[in-house]
Amino acid sequence: MLTVLVSGLAIGALYAATGLAYNIMFSTSKVLSVTTGHICMLGGVFGAYFMLDLGLPAPVALVGAVLVGAAFGLLTEVIAIRRVLARSDEHLWLLSTLALATMVQQAVGLWWGTEPRPFPRLADQDFTAGVLDQKYWLPIAAVVAMALGLEFFYRRTMYGKVFQAVSEDAFAARARGIATDRTRALSFAIAGALGGLAGFAAGQLTFAFFALGLTLTLYGFIALAVGGLGSNVGALVGGVALGLFQTLATYLFGGEYQQTIAVGLLMVVLLVKPEGLFGSKKVRPV
Amino acid sequence: MTTDRIPARMHFGPATMSAAGLALAVGLFAGTAGADTTPVKIGWLSSLTGPLSSAAVAENQGVKFAVDEINKAGGIDGRKIELITRDTAGDPTKAVNFAQQLVLSEKVDFVIGPVNSGESLATVPILARAGVPNIIIGTVDELTDPQKYPRAFRAIATNEQWIGSANDYAIKTLKRSKVAIIGDTTGYGTSSAKKAEALLADAGIKPVYSVLIDANKTDLTDEMTKARAAGADVVMPWSAATGLLARVLNARGNMQWDVPVVGHPAIMGLPIKDLLNKPEYWEQTYAAGYSSTTYGADGKLPAPTTALMDKMRPEFGGTINFTFWWVTLGYDTVKIIEHAVKTAGSTDKAAVQKALENTQNLKGTYADYSWGPKQRNGFPDSGIVINKANTFKDGSFEAAPH
Repeated sequence: MLTVLVSGLAIGALYAATGLAYNIMFSTSKVLSVTTGHICMLGGVFGAYFMLDLGLPAPVALVGAVLVGAAFGLLTEVIAIRRVLARSDEHLWLLSTLALATMVQQAVGLWWGTEPRPFPRLADQDFTAGVLDQKYWLPIAAVVAMALGLEFFYRRTMYGKVFQAVSEDAFAARARGIATDRTRALSFAIAGALGGLAGFAAGQLTFAFFALGLTLTLYGFIALAVGGLGSNVGALVGGVALGLFQTLATYLFGGEYQQTIAVGLLMVVLLVKPEGLFGSKKVRPV
Repeated sequence: MTTDRIPARMHFGPATMSAAGLALAVGLFAGTAGADTTPVKIGWLSSLTGPLSSAAVAENQGVKFAVDEINKAGGIDGRKIELITRDTAGDPTKAVNFAQQLVLSEKVDFVIGPVNSGESLATVPILARAGVPNIIIGTVDELTDPQKYPRAFRAIATNEQWIGSANDYAIKTLKRSKVAIIGDTTGYGTSSAKKAEALLADAGIKPVYSVLIDANKTDLTDEMTKARAAGADVVMPWSAATGLLARVLNARGNMQWDVPVVGHPAIMGLPIKDLLNKPEYWEQTYAAGYSSTTYGADGKLPAPTTALMDKMRPEFGGTINFTFWWVTLGYDTVKIIEHAVKTAGSTDKAAVQKALENTQNLKGTYADYSWGPKQRNGFPDSGIVINKANTFKDGSFEAAPH
């Protein structure tokens, strides 16, 4: 049973990390990018590529994976977001980010292959370590570091305060001289870097697999919706809750109920508390 | 068609000339009508990209090689083969669209595939409605039915043959009776796990543990712990998902559980080897394989396999680092079509159906095939062999210990 909890926490941490990446992008753009899970996928795939194919040491591979994630985040903003937001208030970004996500997945499938490939051990540890195995604790540690780092960024840095200003009212922020377009681009790059880090940290758990992106996009969104859109604490709680629910459901009832449980959790929370567990209720004055 | 001319120096009377002219004209017309030189059009629905593309890419090499070989030899009864390949990317929707295009626009004479059973379940009824002969290479049992799909003939082994052979090996050879079945939550995994349970029930065995798992589940320690707690003495995974199968073996190895694993052929694939935590985690792992790609006691493969391997080896750059039965299957699908057209004397669909229905013991590389008026599964039970997973060499395997 302890393994169930630890593996649930580990996969939940990856969902939470995806949720955090969603939040960073959403804060400055009000866009929920379908490419979010694919950023994590790229972190895992490129991490494995740098270490196994190019023979680079793990720290260099980590930096490489983070840079690839940041570059893809920025690319998402430039290709799929910037022009769409400039031309339309409708939710066309859903289509543009879906198109980009599909193209990236296909491209990685063609280049990397469609079978999962191994992700190397990052620390010297025997495989019989059980619940202490690094594959569980690395993603958990990564998401804790991400959450603390974001908290510091938002509260203690000027750029963090700029992000918050754009998040609260982009028009007012622009009126005060904030370059909202540049801020948005930076937020996508930061989300990409953190997504790359999460994908790298969870590589041993997920393998380096081209089709991981869409799964994480879905479960990361559920984690965020359960926790509350815009809330980092919500993303953490939602992700961990989803991971634990899924593994417990599989353990107790079998895997055929895993997705039902995930979507069921989302529906229950949305019915009882539509803004999510930690989301702020928006009231429109009339 | 004759092109000979009558020599000028020969002299004939008017009546003889008229008769000869008539005979020549009739002969020419008969020759033109009899020697059909239109190409034999084969549609090939192959998931060359997307999930499970490894098998499709290898099968495609066999298909293309057979087409080239036949065309270089002059075609089928003088008719060249025109191969029309469509990449379904493993997507049933695309497979359906391409099947319709092949039938309605390209007007193909035959369709090979699709590669994956999930795609085939969607395309087989469409091809059956169009009356186009379909060489099936999916294993799911529901894909063939002489009443519903009279022109669908299966070349590959059925899922039931795979599972039945694996069950026999676990029960009769390994003498195990406490079976843990692991399936995945895809349609294929679910139906295979059910079939495995049903076949075990026929042998009087009820699994001590049975579970369906999401194919992308990241850790299987819990399921394997439960299987061990339930007293399982053999684990039988029925899934084509490489990641899931590797995780079964990794969980078993990490737990240091000394239990044999007998299951789906994908557990012998080379991608599994790369995903194992340690190479020894592949020990005591067996799967349904084929006599055509199994080394005999003398260390040799059957002669037809060796012959094809030798012919194709230059195309692979000398080494064969994928499962070779995929290639033999692809190669045989075209040879089956060649046999059908030659026997039928044309590509007339009803005649082709009759030719295949009357085919007995057609020698192939992957297997020897027999179909009948009420039998659409051509692969013989004797063609299945249980292989030892960690013995991959040149795309083939050693037989499991008996």
